[in-house]
Formats: sequence, C-alpha cells, structure tokens
Amino acid sequence: MFDFIAYPLANLMLLFYYFLGHQTVVAIAVLTVLIRLLILPLTLGQQKSARRMQELQPKIAKLQKKYGKDKERLTQEQMKLYKEAGINPMGGCLPLLIQLPIMFGLYRAIIYCVPTTPLQLFQFSHHIYKWLPGVVGLVPLQSAFLGMDLGQPPSVAQWWSYALPALVLATSWLQQKLLTPPAASDDQSQATAVNQQMQIMMPLMFGLMSLQFAVGLSIYFIISNLIGIAQYYFIPVDRDGGGTGGKGQKQSERRK
Amino acid sequence: MNRSWTRRWPIVLAMLAALLVSVSGCAGSAQATSWMGLTIAGERLYAADLEQVRELGAADGRPLWAFPDDPKEEKRGAFYATPAVGEGYVIVASQVPGGGFFSQPRNVVWALDADTGSKLWSFYDAAGQYVEGGAISGGVFVIGNSDGNVYALDVESGALRWVFEAGHRVWATPLIVSDMVYIGSMDRHLYALDLSNGEVRWDFHAEGAFASTPALRDGTLYIGAFDDRLYAVDARTGTERWRFPGENWFWGSPVVYSDTVYAADVNGNVYAVDAETGEPIWDQPQSLNAPVRAGPALTGDGSMLFVGSQNGTLYALDTADGFLLWSQDSEGQVLSTPVVGGSLVYESLLHGPYRIRALHVDNGREMWAYPRVVEEQE
Repeated sequence: MFDFIAYPLANLMLLFYYFLGHQTVVAIAVLTVLIRLLILPLTLGQQKSARRMQELQPKIAKLQKKYGKDKERLTQEQMKLYKEAGINPMGGCLPLLIQLPIMFGLYRAIIYCVPTTPLQLFQFSHHIYKWLPGVVGLVPLQSAFLGMDLGQPPSVAQWWSYALPALVLATSWLQQKLLTPPAASDDQSQATAVNQQMQIMMPLMFGLMSLQFAVGLSIYFIISNLIGIAQYYFIPVDRDGGGTGGKGQKQSERRK
Repeated sequence: MNRSWTRRWPIVLAMLAALLVSVSGCAGSAQATSWMGLTIAGERLYAADLEQVRELGAADGRPLWAFPDDPKEEKRGAFYATPAVGEGYVIVASQVPGGGFFSQPRNVVWALDADTGSKLWSFYDAAGQYVEGGAISGGVFVIGNSDGNVYALDVESGALRWVFEAGHRVWATPLIVSDMVYIGSMDRHLYALDLSNGEVRWDFHAEGAFASTPALRDGTLYIGAFDDRLYAVDARTGTERWRFPGENWFWGSPVVYSDTVYAADVNGNVYAVDAETGEPIWDQPQSLNAPVRAGPALTGDGSMLFVGSQNGTLYALDTADGFLLWSQDSEGQVLSTPVVGGSLVYESLLHGPYRIRALHVDNGREMWAYPRVVEEQE
C-alpha cells in the first residue's frame, strides 16, 4: 500500500549509500533530514500552533474561571477563542498523522534495502531505478551497525539494541512535550485533555513500534525527533503567525 | 467535540496506527516470507511445505510421511528451505516463531529419517533464517544462514564441525565438490572453503550479491550475481574467465549442459551462453515478460529447459533456440526451481490452491497435484 512512497525512498537511500561511503546508517540519516525538510511546512505549522496555544493560556484560564461550572459554555467559548486566533486545537496532531504514511513508506524502504526475507528483496528487484548512478549491485545494503542488524528488530542476543526503542520513546516524548502547550492548572478543556493524552500516547506508540520493527526505523525515529527538537529551539516561527520558536522568541523578547 | 470523543481520541489513533501497520505489511508474521523448495531423489519427492516437510511418491503424488505429523500439536515453524537428501536421511530447516513479545524466533536444522520422517537430530545455533537448503557430502551437511554464517554439521550426530563467517547474509545453497565448498554470500563474494575445516581457499569478489548456487563444468564455475552479470570463474583459483551481461539480477542458479550455460534474470530473460567464451548462443534471449526468481531446470537429455515465473506460468523452452514449446498457467507463483524426474517436471506453488504440481515434460499436461482435493483442506 505504501510502496508508491517506499520505492522512491528506497532508491534515494541507495543513492545516498553510494555517495556517502557505503554507510547504511548515514544513508538513513540523510534521508531522514530530507524528509524533515519536505515536511518542514507542516512541522512549522505545528510549532506555530503550539506557540499560539501557549499564548492563549491566560485567556483560557480566564474563561475557565468565568464558565468553570458550565462545561458546555466553556467549550463553546474556548472554541470561539481558538477560531478568533485562527487555531485548530487538533492542528498539532495533523502533522503527526501525515507523517505516518511517510514513516511506513520509509519502513518498507529500509526493509527493501536491508531485507530480511527473500520475498521482500525479490519484490524490490524490479523497482530499482537503474538510471541512478551507482545503484546497480548495491542491494542488499550493509546491515551491520554496532553489532546489530539494521533489518531486524531489537533482540535479546544484542541486548544493547533495546537502547534504541528507549531512545525513540525519550526523544518522542521530549518532542511531543515541546509541541504541546502547557495547560493552566485548572484547565480541564477537551483540547487540553487530548493534547495531554497525545503527549503520552504518541511516544508510547512509537516506542512499542520500535520494539517490533527493524532497528533501522528506530534510527529514523531518533534522528527525526532530534531534528524536531532542534527545530523548535533554533528555527524562529514567523511572528505574524503568532510567535517565534523557543530561542528566537527569547531573543525577540530581550530586544523589547 | 464532546468528552467521550476526547477519551476515544488516543484509541482511534492507536487503531489507525495498527491499521497502517497491518496494511503496510509490517506485521506480516502470518505471511509467507519465502518460497518452498522441492527436491527429488529416485522415486520420492521431498517438499518444504510451510508447516511441514513432506515426502510424496514422485509418480503419483501420494503422501508418504510428513514432519511434524500434526503441525497444530507440534509447532516446528515454517519450512521453506529445499530439503537435502542423503543416504537414509533428509535434512531440512525451519524457523520457529518466538512465543512472547521479547522472544526471538528459533532457527532449526532437522535431520529426519528418510523412510519414516522421524527426527534424528536438530541444530539450534543459528541466529537468522535459513533461506535456501544445504548440501551434503563426505558426512558433512553445509548450509548458509541469514546471520552471515555458513554452518557445517556432522550428518550422523548434528554436531557442529565448523563455522565460516561471511560479511553478510548467506542465502545460497552451497555446491560441494570433492573437498571444496563453493558458496556465495550477499557480501558479494563467492567463497571456496575447505570442506574439512571451513578455511577459505579463495574468494571471488563481484560487484553484486550472490544468492545462487554455482554450476560446475570442466573446472569452471558459473554463477550469476545481483550486479546483472553471469560469471565464469576458475574453480581451482577463483579467477574470472568471462562475464556476461543480463538485464537485471541473476538470482536463480544457472544450469550447464554440454558446452552451454543456461540462466534467467529476474526480468524473465532466459539466456544460453557459450560455456567457453561467454558469448550468447541464441540469436536473442527468450523474454518471458514475467518476473523470474528461480533458475531453470533441464531435462536429462538437455533438450528442454523449464522456467517458472511469478505470474504462475511454467515455460518449457527448446534448448536449441530458446523457442517456447509450451506453457502451463497456474494460480500461484512459481518462485522455486522446478525439478525434473523422468517424464515429469514438478513445480512448487506459492499462494496457490495447490502446493505442488506434476506436469508432463512433453506437453505440460497436469499429471497430479498436491493436495489432491482442495476442498478437504478448507
């Protein structure tokens, strides 16, 4: 189903592997950076949305004081506030959902390039873009990395491979935390509840998936999350969109 | 947005992820991961049949024994690798799934009594899947594994004689001639190993992976690689004699008859090449226009060539000019090499209603199919 994404990604990975010293992990890392660049508008939107939500927290707190006992009215007023500010309270989830097909496409790309079963490899044999320089004869790519097999899930025999799902969980949690607006202490709105649950559910989901999937995909998750975290701190978000990124915002505040 | 939706949102997300996992094929533990190998020894046919290994009568497809007897009771895993047949025993391999979340699948070599199918010994050391079968010679069974090792086992006891560590997965069946083991690896090397101790006598480096078994004729090995080339290599020294370009990977093993090498690439082009010079013999390759994974099989007199394809068709070609003599369609995929015995050619089918079919070499007429009555299996 995701092969229309997987085949181009797999061929890109072959190209990077060929030009970057025949290192599979390097190829995955560069591909991850490329994917992050492609979805940058989405992730910046997510970042912007989180910032705006953060800015609205005082107003939301006021609404809660005012309509605390009337939950229906509170929800209506909050939605009105979000609408006025041009925020979709679920906007933070959309980039994550859009990333899922790309993630599964990349998963398949990794198992095509570092296959563990013959049928996977045979399927890919007809989808290598032979016009790309250097790709003939490359597959399967070198699968060993720090004693682990990039095409296999973590295993007890390579106990250290379980560090990768742990890192996926930790970096996913941190990234999600940065992108989740802090809730006011008495904020019991649905949007806040959703965001809080997402902050737990998404890292857990990615962590569990990393236990079952190829180690190579964990490397994608970790690098992707680290880029997301760095992006939060170092890429300023357009002010007219309602704020700046973390570090950028602090600098602009200092200038004031 | 009401509160019940709020509570359900993470569940919906998790379900969506699970759906994506299932449709993306990531959770394919129940799916076949390889093709089932077939081999013939005299009047008996031995087949890896996913949950079991079977011995069938070659003439009529009559089941003689199966290991394990009841796969629901005795879970021995999935059998794909082609059985290797010795004097009174059959050696097969399977992958037994792990039982829990953190448990790993076990990869097992089984030696079975050829008359009864009862277990003689088993070997559990390998960490990866066995893809193709092993070879037997001089009281040693040699088999490659996805963990990158080549294992040599004593055929009487199953004791490990030696291990050779390659640089990548080893999916090919070795060729054993006298005291030499020739085996290709995904690390792009064809190795010549000493049968007695596994030491490397020479290795030949190509620009693509090796996943097939070399064919030997007059001191020359013929083998295809994933760099789209068919190679002729000196069996004594490992030096290249010639190379022949194909259109895509050579995955199936080539066959040699008289002074001609026959090979198929995965695009479905079948080639006849002069064994001495590497020059094409047919005016042009026979293009089957179907993906071909396995190598061709020859009749005993070398007059006909059989090639199976992923679209389920078995093709019979005239070795003189490559012309199509007949073709027989089937539901399923023919991804393992057909085997020829007397007047019958046998094909193993993946994803089809039948696992094995026997066709007459002259016209492709179906002589028998296994299982005989499909309804009984459903």
